[in-house]
Amino acid sequence: MKERPDAPQRPVSRRGPPPPGPQRPFRFPEFERRRLANGLAVYAAPVGHLPLVELELLLPGGAEHDPPERAGLATLTAALLNDGSREHTALELAAAAERLGGSLDSQADWDAASIGSGLLAEHLESGLGLLAEVATRPAFPARELERRRQRRLAELLRQRAQPQSLATAALTRALYAPTVYGNTLDGRAAGLRAITRDEVEVFAGRHLTPAGGALLAVGAFEPERLFGLAADHLGDWRARPASPSPDVSAPEVVRPDIVPPEHAGPRIELVNQPRAAQTELRVGLPTVSRRHPDWVALHVLNCVLGGKFTSRLNLSLRERLGVTYGAHSSLAARLGPGPLVIATAVATDAVGAAVGEAVTELGRLRSRKVGDDELEEAHSYLIGAFPYPLQRLGGVLHRLAELALYGLPDDYFRSHAERLRAVDGEALRAVAGRYLDPRRIAVVAVGPASRLAPQLEAFGEVSIRSPKEVIE
Amino acid sequence: MSLASTGAGGASASGLAGAPAGRPAAPALPIESHALPNGLRVVLQPDRRQPLVAINLWYHVGSRNEVPGRTGLAHLFEHMLFQGSQHVGTNDHFRYLQQVGGVANGSTWFDRTNYFETLPSHHLDLGLWLESDRMGYLLPALDHDKLETQRQVVLNERRQRIDNQPYGRAFERLHELLYPPGHPYSWPVIGYEPDIAGATLDEVVEFFRTHYVPANAVLTLAGDFEPRQALGRVEHYFGEVAAGTAPQAPRQRPVWPSAERREVLPDRVELARVYLGFTVPAVGDRRCDAAELLAIVLGDGRSSPLYRDLVHDRELAQEVWAAVLPMEIQSTFLLVATARPGVEPDRLEEALRGHLATASRGELAADELERARNRMVAAHLGALQSLDRRADLLSRATTFFDDPERLNRELERYLGLGAGEPAAVATDFLRPDRGVVVHVVPAVGGGRTAG
Repeated sequence: MKERPDAPQRPVSRRGPPPPGPQRPFRFPEFERRRLANGLAVYAAPVGHLPLVELELLLPGGAEHDPPERAGLATLTAALLNDGSREHTALELAAAAERLGGSLDSQADWDAASIGSGLLAEHLESGLGLLAEVATRPAFPARELERRRQRRLAELLRQRAQPQSLATAALTRALYAPTVYGNTLDGRAAGLRAITRDEVEVFAGRHLTPAGGALLAVGAFEPERLFGLAADHLGDWRARPASPSPDVSAPEVVRPDIVPPEHAGPRIELVNQPRAAQTELRVGLPTVSRRHPDWVALHVLNCVLGGKFTSRLNLSLRERLGVTYGAHSSLAARLGPGPLVIATAVATDAVGAAVGEAVTELGRLRSRKVGDDELEEAHSYLIGAFPYPLQRLGGVLHRLAELALYGLPDDYFRSHAERLRAVDGEALRAVAGRYLDPRRIAVVAVGPASRLAPQLEAFGEVSIRSPKEVIE
Repeated sequence: MSLASTGAGGASASGLAGAPAGRPAAPALPIESHALPNGLRVVLQPDRRQPLVAINLWYHVGSRNEVPGRTGLAHLFEHMLFQGSQHVGTNDHFRYLQQVGGVANGSTWFDRTNYFETLPSHHLDLGLWLESDRMGYLLPALDHDKLETQRQVVLNERRQRIDNQPYGRAFERLHELLYPPGHPYSWPVIGYEPDIAGATLDEVVEFFRTHYVPANAVLTLAGDFEPRQALGRVEHYFGEVAAGTAPQAPRQRPVWPSAERREVLPDRVELARVYLGFTVPAVGDRRCDAAELLAIVLGDGRSSPLYRDLVHDRELAQEVWAAVLPMEIQSTFLLVATARPGVEPDRLEEALRGHLATASRGELAADELERARNRMVAAHLGALQSLDRRADLLSRATTFFDDPERLNRELERYLGLGAGEPAAVATDFLRPDRGVVVHVVPAVGGGRTAG
């Protein structure tokens, strides 16, 4: 090793954490946004330090549009997009994307359908061409629909043995049935068996349209080139004849009204897995749309409750009681009123104590103002950790999608730190009062029902289902 | 040179010398390496595009350093390293980091244990202070209460990841069969429940004294710092940690199975699953690289032969994948396929074997190799996007090969593999008489019970 005469010689002070150095500001990556004549928004973020590009085409065909008795139609339709175009078969499309060093994936969540592709930058035009091909000229081959259907039915069987899938399915039903949010994205076997090719085509024609959609691009390219390619490949795209003509000047698609049902008290749902080695546990409540002004305060509230390692739930259930490997909470971002969900897996005999802790913490957020130090920790964590995912192209893409989906202004993330800091203790207590109503709580425990029921009867009315009833 | 200069203006980065024409390459990362007098190796990878810094520490100790009867000690110990040290309170490690917007974690594997955090770069000192405190001053802070709590946390982790997961025991069982009793890879990283339950504080203390010395560690910083200044800060915090002696690596030669071993494992699953396991040469051996390329050729992506044939065309499998776990004594090669309802595991196994036979006959098409190479390039570039992954890869190259620059030659190495080399790996190592087969099948009457 080289001699280092300039190295500090003084002993290390270990009496407390060292002070920070001078801070360099973080800036959200620059991007440009335009709109094609057919209504499609185009976001282009040139992030060019590696020869990579990620593309995503978001279309307003999320599972929130699933018709009654046809849960799973949106995700199935989206998946079928890259299963064949008018020019190419499913395997030809996959091979073409993979030759570009990339992939081509299509899927849907609650809010939107998306076709995504990651590729080497030199293949940008070919990649965008493929994306446009599956978006604008899908064939929905009957044989591929059958393949997808069979694979999806098998997937439901697999999920039926998986504690996390059972917990999610039971919780969403307990919180939201009979609204569309009470389903799962994958649907139920009876509905999946009944879906016809015509239904897929009609759904695609109605919802997978350029108006209300957005093309997002992040990576090594010049924005002008990207806008030019987008116009070449997607500019002529018109809504399919089956759909009502889109109003390009007002691209907001009318959305279903999702209002979670009111309940008189907490509901406890047990999913009976008599031989489970531990219990998968969820405690949830419905909240608000990502577009609602209260969402940001709930986001900070979630951080205090269970959004980071040092949040209340993890410190109590893991570090104090040792009954779990981890306890977390998350706030969904959705067009409709998404849930706040506490998730953990705990030793079966500790489930009563764990639910007690969760319910107590939810109540404490309503009754007592969050202290200044704890609030400062939440602010600093959310603000300080915000840039990390943006190191990856996919992280930037994710944030652009948030802007596009929820109608947020282009400069939204430039002022995000101030927006988070503005949420004070009073604001937290106000949203806790509005949304953490104990009567709206649903508890789901997947494990041995005979050992769980006695621990949970004190919290509300207990019902017991089999895995087969939860994932049908 | 900084990374920013290679991509200015959004144009794609310049090519790497030695890469085949027409294939894009990763820009070479600027890397410095140093060693402190106490033996700590330090790797610096400056990148000032964002005000972030990743700190990554590899200790060259993993479950391979355990003994039968005390499995899981390396991982249990990893948990203890987050319970504070002499100058850091019990829950304060995470608290100090998260207070300034840092994210942190650690992980244990067969050959190594790593600890890492990403921070806003003006808090670099905080991360170095915390890591050096638990390297130099852990023992005064260890006590029975902390051990008991973390023991329960780890027992719950084992239930969550293994005992209560469908197929959760399969990989553990596969390694038990693939490596002979006493071989350091024959037991699971997380350990067996009675061993975790029986670990004592004395054993934890002894484990620290033996393995957590500077000469057995690599510290990598990647991100927003000036290298000379950062090295000064590293010397400041870590220079006073007592040197100690680097422990001996376990003396274990590779063991090659001489016969096929099979097992049927009833489990609480609805769909059967087939695992084929083989051993291939150690990480760093060219044949290990070839095995990784072969795994990508066979099973990565929807146009791979395994997906095309088993999932799409014949609809025998719900999903299929191939993977290599590169390790220091020898490596594991895995083929895994989940059966569709009504498909017998035997039939699925036969289909998988058919593809291995094709591979060993050297009948991989040129375009299949080309596809795999392109995917490898994209995956490598993808991994370089974030500072924490980059730092981890640099710690790895330094721990295993004492050569951080190896990361800059990674693609060259893979792209230099000839078309015949994956086939040779299949012929020499992925043979029916040298493998392990585990069929996970739905249990009649409910399957394995609580552990």
